[in-house]
Amino acid sequence: MSSGVCRRVLRAAGSWPAASSSASRSWITSPGCRLRCEPRRGMSASGGKGTMNVFNREMKKRQKNWAASLQDGDQYDYLRDEVGSRVADRVYDITRTFPLALDIGGGKSHIAEHISKDVVERLFLTDVSEKALKQTRRGEIPTHHVLADEEFLPFKENTFDLVVSSLSLHWINDLPGALKQINQVLKPDGVFIGAMVGGETLYELRCSLQLAEIEREGGFSPHVSPYTAVTDLGNLLGRAGFTMLTVDIDEVQVQYPGIIEVMTDLQGMGESNCAWNRRSLLHRDAILAAAAIYKEMYGNEDGSIPATFEILYMIGWKPHESQAKPAKRGSASVSFGDLSKISQPTNTNKS
Amino acid sequence: MSGSNAWSRSREKMRLFPELFAQCAGEAATYGKCVAASTTGRQELKKDMCAKEFEALKTCFTAAAKKKAK
Repeated sequence: MSSGVCRRVLRAAGSWPAASSSASRSWITSPGCRLRCEPRRGMSASGGKGTMNVFNREMKKRQKNWAASLQDGDQYDYLRDEVGSRVADRVYDITRTFPLALDIGGGKSHIAEHISKDVVERLFLTDVSEKALKQTRRGEIPTHHVLADEEFLPFKENTFDLVVSSLSLHWINDLPGALKQINQVLKPDGVFIGAMVGGETLYELRCSLQLAEIEREGGFSPHVSPYTAVTDLGNLLGRAGFTMLTVDIDEVQVQYPGIIEVMTDLQGMGESNCAWNRRSLLHRDAILAAAAIYKEMYGNEDGSIPATFEILYMIGWKPHESQAKPAKRGSASVSFGDLSKISQPTNTNKS
Repeated sequence: MSGSNAWSRSREKMRLFPELFAQCAGEAATYGKCVAASTTGRQELKKDMCAKEFEALKTCFTAAAKKKAK
């Protein structure tokens, strides 16, 4: 293997702030962990203006184009297909027909293929990668393709009845701003259903690489990108103007033969890391070391290794007067102080 | 994409990795244990803490690669 081998192989998709909570529980005190000084995604929620610039969007576009042009690209679609179908499930949960829907960062249209045209009558599909858009699967819903950046939606206010997004929002720099735009393009009483990776996604890969680089080189650089924590998601949605929020988390674990397969597949998904602060070179020694550490620390009995994806699902509604509201102040007819009496069953006087 | 670029070239070469790596399972486990041990105990992981174990793994890996190239 030449040194070129290891170059560029690892722009793995990923996370980092999350891994500190549980995966690295045992080694949080190691000096390397204190070196973390990269921007956190969560911070963008608290900052006044969403001026975070964590990801190189141009690089992400190139990665997606490259992935879409792979001859055997379909074999890397397993995660998008799975999550796409779960988002579609959530669309079906709402007993409505949506005349006009928007899929943000839809790529090959992994959501719409699970939805019938009785539910969504017309669909706009956007993606940053023109090559992915060209490969869109033919569903039964009439679809318009729009080449657009998720960060700058080219639609008028109050346009869509439904906005969906699957596995694309985690590469957005200004997530609060993007959610605000989604809110804007929705009609009142319209709904947004999204899924993105977050939380502790790929903590095995992150930790293996960090340990390997610490042991080999004496320090590490992030190869797995920052992620949104599930606890921030509610606030983000609320700030963007959504009401009646639902946020839930799903863990998908995929078993791989080895670390190389994990990284190759991530690359094939177009999910390689594109954070500005990534190091474009992963030394071959570090890969070899990480492969051994990954297998030893997280490997299964049969020699395979797991990779965990945490999928955050979010549902939010654009406010409308028809929606259920909290009752007026002072309209209660029972005091909270009496709650304990109400909950007591009537047969408590037997002793 | 047609033609070869840095991504596809590196992918070609990485395809060999699992096979070569499998031939050094013993060495890999020893090295992995060495690093993993440093994460559970009080000691902190430092550079070259498992240098000896890694050297063995690398020697084995390089040998396997040479054998394959022949």
